[in-house]
Amino acid sequence: MTSAASNHNSDTESDSNGYNFAYLDEQTKRMIRRCLLKAVAVPGYQVPFGGREMPLPYGWGTGGMQVTATIIGQDDVLKVIDQGADDTTNAVSIRRFFARTAGVATTESTLAASVIQTRHRIPETPLSHGQILVYQVPIPEPLRFIEPRETETRKMHALQEYGVMHVKLYEDIARFGHIATTYAYPVKVNGHYVMDPSPIPKFDNPKMHGSPALQLFGAGREKRIYAIPPFTRVESLDFEDHPFEIQGWDQTCEFCGSDHSFLDEVVTDDEGGRIFICSDTDYCNQRFETGARQEAV
Amino acid sequence: MYVAVKGGEKAIDQAHSWLDETRRGDTSIPELSVAQIRQQMGLAVDRVMAEGSLYDPELAALALKQASGDAIEAIFLLRAYRTTLPRFLASLPMETNTMAIQRRISAAYKDLPGGQVLGPTYDYTHRLLDFTLLANGERGNSSPSTLPSTQPSDETVEDCPRVLDFLNSEGLIESPLANSGDLQPDDSAPADLTRQPLDYPAGRDLRLQALARGDEGFLLALAYSTQRGYGRNHPFAGEIRQGEVAVEIAPEELGFAVIVGDIQVSECDMINQFIGTATEAPRFTRGYGLAFGNSERKALAMALVDRALRARELGEDVVSPAQDEEFVLAHCDNLDSSGFVSHLKLPHYVDFQSELVLLRRLRKEFEQRTSGRQDPKANTTSKPGNQDEPSMDNEQHREVKQA
Amino acid sequence: MTATNETHLFAMQALSTTFSPALSPATSTAFSLAGLCAGFDDPVHQSQQVFRRALTALSEPGTVQNVPESPAPEGAHSASYQLCLTLLDAETPLWIAPALRTDALVSALRFHCGCRLVDEPGQAEFALISPDFDGDLTHFAQGSHEYPDRSTTVIVQVESLDAASTWTLRGPGIDGIRKVGIAGLDPRWPGMLADNCRQFPCGVDLMFTAGTALMGLPRTTRVEI
Repeated sequence: MTSAASNHNSDTESDSNGYNFAYLDEQTKRMIRRCLLKAVAVPGYQVPFGGREMPLPYGWGTGGMQVTATIIGQDDVLKVIDQGADDTTNAVSIRRFFARTAGVATTESTLAASVIQTRHRIPETPLSHGQILVYQVPIPEPLRFIEPRETETRKMHALQEYGVMHVKLYEDIARFGHIATTYAYPVKVNGHYVMDPSPIPKFDNPKMHGSPALQLFGAGREKRIYAIPPFTRVESLDFEDHPFEIQGWDQTCEFCGSDHSFLDEVVTDDEGGRIFICSDTDYCNQRFETGARQEAV
Repeated sequence: MYVAVKGGEKAIDQAHSWLDETRRGDTSIPELSVAQIRQQMGLAVDRVMAEGSLYDPELAALALKQASGDAIEAIFLLRAYRTTLPRFLASLPMETNTMAIQRRISAAYKDLPGGQVLGPTYDYTHRLLDFTLLANGERGNSSPSTLPSTQPSDETVEDCPRVLDFLNSEGLIESPLANSGDLQPDDSAPADLTRQPLDYPAGRDLRLQALARGDEGFLLALAYSTQRGYGRNHPFAGEIRQGEVAVEIAPEELGFAVIVGDIQVSECDMINQFIGTATEAPRFTRGYGLAFGNSERKALAMALVDRALRARELGEDVVSPAQDEEFVLAHCDNLDSSGFVSHLKLPHYVDFQSELVLLRRLRKEFEQRTSGRQDPKANTTSKPGNQDEPSMDNEQHREVKQA
Repeated sequence: MTATNETHLFAMQALSTTFSPALSPATSTAFSLAGLCAGFDDPVHQSQQVFRRALTALSEPGTVQNVPESPAPEGAHSASYQLCLTLLDAETPLWIAPALRTDALVSALRFHCGCRLVDEPGQAEFALISPDFDGDLTHFAQGSHEYPDRSTTVIVQVESLDAASTWTLRGPGIDGIRKVGIAGLDPRWPGMLADNCRQFPCGVDLMFTAGTALMGLPRTTRVEI
């Protein structure tokens, strides 16, 4: 697999016939644009929006796609990842969708991308100012598993009644000795709203804090959009005696040898054989190639 | 050395071409035309139009063909098309009183003006497989040829006044717009959940829209639950009618209404549990169902659920699922539900790996504890600490690597 | 556009057949086209470009974003006008301060956006004002604690955005502090902005414009003099 190298997709003209640039009609884009502006103005607050049906199923990234379709322009370079990887089927499908409907350049390189749509990971390569990270969100409401009713959770946010969330996390500590939430770990944004970071592993939570990139979140089925502007305080909820901590591995990446990235476990045989590889394929490739070059020198 | 699986793009392409082959089936069997589906699979087409929220039998038939007959997949295709269509204007409210009746029955009165019109119904068929159809016979019924033409001629169709209007004129039932909450007659446009996100509590207009688009199976199960006592509302099928209704628009620049077409609909007026207070005489209440095409089961179920959802407005206790607005409206759409259930097929390696790491650690600590060796960390759980506030220094600690 | 045949024109929803009023040419011909200020030549891409600058402006408060040169009706800054073309339509009530309510601007916005002008600032989703407008920011919709998004976005036309720095900004979108100099604001402004910020999560969001320049000041931004 070659990393980097933006490539313009050639099937733009032939396949996009009949649909507007980036699929959504302009009226829908305006509606979503207005919501996005409110979302950055009230960081971490979930703005309701008139989500549209997309040609992909709900739950498969329709919220992220609507956000991407709304912000993307001809000069953007788009990267799409799922589980950190550019070549997982859903990432391939969404990247193709935009190459086809918007004719934008796509890339697998985190550095080369101006817009990155993601499901479940934040790239290992630090994001830079001017980049936009678009998260696909299944359940935007961090309190949903404590209180299923929208009418109630809305009140809880209005009153900043977040004690229940701490109680829930503390129950884990009482039971297991640790907070048992390992992904979609709740954060507090700019000291006000408790927010669901989407099901990224808690390993990625620290990357949200003070990020120079703009972070946008789209939940299509639940029809909510929210945002974290660059350089914004994002704190993972924790306790003085149980500070927030992230996952670590004894192993290193089988390919690039990384001892600091999020690793996927791969089962190699039915006798307990396991190896570990970077979940971020672009990061792994960059390291692998750099390492190979250095060895050659 | 292990090599990770690549080539998602190629796999998708190949899956799609295999799907095309599978959909077509044995090529020695003639291909189904969209026209055949539209004409001969009419009830499937109607369901796709109703839940797809788009009245277009041809495209609904195409969707069914493309979806190998999977109703939800076909509904999805139609919705995804519908969402790209421009909106020109709103039609006037449909006048179902003037419906060209094909079927009209009332379970409340034995006979009534307009009569009981059975129409094309499966109701009284004996559910015996008709092997004549298997042998490609044109007609399965025993001796239909001896009957006169099944289509009513124009002069046989009487005016069909609404059954519930008889009750209303006697004051025995609430008026159609009584207690309808936010539903305003005429002067304000009804809400539209395809343009604005649902907001609770929803007005009845929004609820009816959600139910009209909602999954037939889900509504049917909820409706059934009310009959079994989970929010019982003593229903009588006051009137069920099917037929064609004119759709009218009144563009501002014209200044008068013009008919833009006729659509086939099924409508159900349910007569329900009467209510009364110290100051108001008791009277029946209503539930309403309407769906595109011949979708009688859907209309009936919708009317029962509509009535159940009016519990709060009518001063009844909200105790059952069918009465719970947020529960019903948040879960009745089959694109929402099938999308989210099926998204479990997508990779979740990262989340799963996160759980594995924690679970292994917890088990290790458990073993250490039970084998007598103390893990200090696992025993610090009795003190609730600073429970209401996250610690603000938020220093990120990396977990001590497991031995 | 999408394939149309007659049935598709009347893509009706079951029951609730409400559509937002279409921006049909018929309603637009009520205005004289002569002298009407042009909209975007290429609405799809130009509005995307302006939106991205607006998004950057509000997510990085105090930075100056520039929209491309483009004609604007008398009395409106090019950046204000392009923001309107980008964000307004029949679903967005607009309030224009009387001093800026020229025929040229009103008819251009009606024609290109189809937006509704309202008489009360509190009903407006967007407002266009000059700094000396009669009233203060609390007259606009502030949103509620349940729905803080339901507040007015106020476009303020000022003399310039690159005057000598007088204000220090802090808050989300700002790495530490950012110094800005906005020329043409009367002395009421620092107090109004401080009050606006204190109301969080309620409050209005502001977009200052000068010519083609644009600067965002959302409710989260704290201003110190």
